[in-house]
Amino acid sequence: MTSRSRFHLNRQGRAAHVFLIPWQLGFLLVTAVPLLASLYLAFTNYDILNAPEWTGLENFQRMIHDDQFWASVRVTLIYVLVSVPLQLAFALLLALILDRGLKGLAFYRSAFYLPSLLGSSVAIAILWREIFGDDGLINKGLALVGIHGESWLQNPRTALATLIVLNVWTFGSPMVIFLAGLRQIPDELYEAARVDGAGVIKQFRHVTVPLLTPIIFFNLILQTIGAFQTFTQAHIVSGGTGGPANSTLFYTLYVYQQGFVAFDMGYASALAWVLMVAIAVVTALHFLVSKYWVFYGDN
Amino acid sequence: MDRRGFLKVSLGTGLAATAITTVAGCGGSGGGSSGGGDEVTLRYAWWGNSIRQQNYTKALKQFSTANPSITIEPEFADYTAFQERMTTQIAARDVPDIFWIASPQVLTYHKSKLYRKLDDIPTLKWDDYSKEDLETFKLDGQLNTLPFGIFTPVIRYNETVAKADGVTVPAEGPGWTWDSLAELLVAYSKNNPGKRKGTPYAPDHDLTFEAWLRQRGEQLWTQDGQVGFTVDGLGSWLDWWEKLRKAGGALSLSEQEGMGPDWAQVGKKVLVNFGNSNHIIDDAKMFPQEKFRLRAAPIAAGAPAGHKYLYFPRMAIYQRIDDGNLEAAGKVLDYNVNSADMLKTVRLTMGAPTNPKVAEQAAAFASPDEKEMLAIVAKERAAERKPRYEAPPGSSTWRTTMARICEEIALGKTAVPAGAKKLVDEIGAGIKRAA
Amino acid sequence: MTRLKHAGLLVFVAVMIYPLVWMVVSAFKPPEQILTEPGLIPKDLTFENFKEGWHALNRPFSAFFVNSLVVTLASIAGNLFSCSLTAYALARLQFRMRRTYFAITLASVMLPFHVLVIPQYIFFSQLGLVNTYWPLLIPKFLATDAFFVFLMVQFIRTLPRELDRAAWIDGAGPFLTFWYVVLPLMRPALVTTTIFTFIWTWNDFFVPLIYLTRTRVFTVPVALNSMVDSETQSGVGMLFAMSLLSLIPILIFFAVAQKYLIRGIATTGLK
Repeated sequence: MTSRSRFHLNRQGRAAHVFLIPWQLGFLLVTAVPLLASLYLAFTNYDILNAPEWTGLENFQRMIHDDQFWASVRVTLIYVLVSVPLQLAFALLLALILDRGLKGLAFYRSAFYLPSLLGSSVAIAILWREIFGDDGLINKGLALVGIHGESWLQNPRTALATLIVLNVWTFGSPMVIFLAGLRQIPDELYEAARVDGAGVIKQFRHVTVPLLTPIIFFNLILQTIGAFQTFTQAHIVSGGTGGPANSTLFYTLYVYQQGFVAFDMGYASALAWVLMVAIAVVTALHFLVSKYWVFYGDN
Repeated sequence: MDRRGFLKVSLGTGLAATAITTVAGCGGSGGGSSGGGDEVTLRYAWWGNSIRQQNYTKALKQFSTANPSITIEPEFADYTAFQERMTTQIAARDVPDIFWIASPQVLTYHKSKLYRKLDDIPTLKWDDYSKEDLETFKLDGQLNTLPFGIFTPVIRYNETVAKADGVTVPAEGPGWTWDSLAELLVAYSKNNPGKRKGTPYAPDHDLTFEAWLRQRGEQLWTQDGQVGFTVDGLGSWLDWWEKLRKAGGALSLSEQEGMGPDWAQVGKKVLVNFGNSNHIIDDAKMFPQEKFRLRAAPIAAGAPAGHKYLYFPRMAIYQRIDDGNLEAAGKVLDYNVNSADMLKTVRLTMGAPTNPKVAEQAAAFASPDEKEMLAIVAKERAAERKPRYEAPPGSSTWRTTMARICEEIALGKTAVPAGAKKLVDEIGAGIKRAA
Repeated sequence: MTRLKHAGLLVFVAVMIYPLVWMVVSAFKPPEQILTEPGLIPKDLTFENFKEGWHALNRPFSAFFVNSLVVTLASIAGNLFSCSLTAYALARLQFRMRRTYFAITLASVMLPFHVLVIPQYIFFSQLGLVNTYWPLLIPKFLATDAFFVFLMVQFIRTLPRELDRAAWIDGAGPFLTFWYVVLPLMRPALVTTTIFTFIWTWNDFFVPLIYLTRTRVFTVPVALNSMVDSETQSGVGMLFAMSLLSLIPILIFFAVAQKYLIRGIATTGLK
């Protein structure tokens, strides 16, 4: 290495430190220190007003006997397992329909994308309350065909479903990603398949799906992580209670209740760490399993 | 966006935004006192519905007009949101200068040293109160909260609808028991032209629950800060409601859109409501065509002497208030309780006045609804009463927990005995953690 | 066949958009007609919901719009500033911890916010910064939205290296190169960042809910939530009217910047 390029490297290193001042500060103050602090708090009884008191594993033992904890785990898992695949299925289906030179693509794409843009807002959560309430839009519609519907939000069997519908409704953003992915599949591959006598279904199975697997995987990871952290909708629709009968008690809502309503910061930190570990495990599993089904061009 | 555009957006908006943020006075905590000058800004926090919100906002403005050096910044929220907000603000030591205290929080706040003592503020007078009154106001022997109203547990009924449907609500006395009330509600629900139900499903209403307990010789909280009721006591209350609900005497959770329904929504669907005596003031206004009447809570056979009680809503001054703001804050409190001026604007939405002189004046300008409320409180006040104790530290979320368990019972997710045990256990665990 | 496809798609679009249209129409109906007459053609038109909703809280809604705008613009400034600096260093400069830093950035995309929020809250509250916008803004100026760093890194990598090499040879240091060569070329990534920061910050609810408890500092979502809490007889109409207003900035952004938006999503997902 010449002295000149070493000089360059040093200079780059120094410059990098300046460029990275905000990031390093952010990593330290906003991420690393809070992460460790919450790990410590997870082993304490802490209400902010009095000093934290070390309680060892008590918070974690408390979870085992905490019905609400288990209810929130259940609700969140059902939500992730049902709404993410449904949402992605819709996204993929619509992307396939819209792909390949359909007229009015831009219009459809915008129309389907719009809900994604608004879906996480308080305004839409408010709208959902009125759609699925006792006197809501859905029941008014049912009344037209002679069915007397009960409040969808007050029935523990249907309350979560309304939120799943809300999440599926926002299929637009993964759809746009699918569309971009589809466009990258070279036409020659389809032509080659046609020459080999493959029909539409075979083309789909042997060309589209394999080449799209990285995109599906990407969407899956992104939407799963997002679904685990759903908060706004559950908070507004249930008025912050997670009711009826804990049926919309999302995990994050329970963390919020313990942390910022009951001010049980120690227990809430323990809950948050469990969530983080769970997300990490699920993501790692996704990556492990992806070896068996995600197709990257180079292997 | 080119480089110049980037520069503009990044620096321009950044600086402008931060400048606005700082200039708008959003920096720092405190009550925004202006230091040396005579101008004082006080934060005043209360809860309620929109009628009470508007009335109090107006009354506080009137106060500022009469006292131009004192500006009041109103902080209003619904009852539940109010408590959540207070909790967050306490943690951040950003508490309003003057605030109302929700019943489950009284001793939790006391333990957190939120209350400033109130007997040494020259602008706040205590002359009108009897010694006995002052004793009952004290917490731990200190006069650090200001009880500014009196509530009693009541059954409120819609007299207009009752008359039209040919229903008579029994007068208070031997015929007015929990059983006779349940019978009435069930019978009414089965047969009335408006397809109304007897009552909203409200086993989580705290004051009537407390009345039930005291009639059984139990209490809500003990003097030493523990749960004052047994699993059986709670279970008997929940059973009464379960029977009523199963017999169709109460609204379903679907019909009332969940626990703790909005009166404006359910008022047209029921004959009676379980509530505090003061609720009639604002609630009746939501149905101006109809007349509402009150009955004291029914009385169980064999209820022990002294089971009646009064509930005082309290307000307080924040312990860490700026010394320069203290006299002004005292003045605001004085305006709240020791003069009838404010009541003319806010009406008796927070119950009968605690100040006997003000109570007399209020009787003169009271509306018919308010007279109804005053009469019932006066009767209870005259009765023999054993002391009641405030909610201990660590119990501050007990009402939410109770609502949740009542909901589970109504939905068939939990049986009454198991639910009662769970509630008593959970409240006990909270108290233990706070100890 | 295509005609059938179009018909099917249009029906589906109608179903998807129906709730939104219903909200728009309902906002202009007298409150008592919203739930009794749920059709799309209103019998009577009124602006009453807007008038009442505007003054439903202790301050007029305009105050909350200004607050939201301040927070949103400052967040955009913060993200543009901090993420572009970080991305340039990670994408172009050679230094020892580069790979580690990049890996950390990637990993933090997956970090659930809830695990950080409690210590952050304690920290900011001890500093007396609750009910100010600093807890919302400081993280933006410290490049903690790793998603945008990632997006910009990917983008810079697609730029031809010869350009900044040439600048280096001309004697421009890393700062001048960044400022005069790379930044102007990053325009699409900056636009995408701006758009998404706008939408996310405008919609953000959890963080303002925790830090902003005084009416005068409320952002629009927190103000809406506060209206939900004190819902009264005329509540639905007011709620719809204010909800609708709250969405308008986003809809405008959507209309104006649609192209960038769609491209932005599409490119972040791809190599």
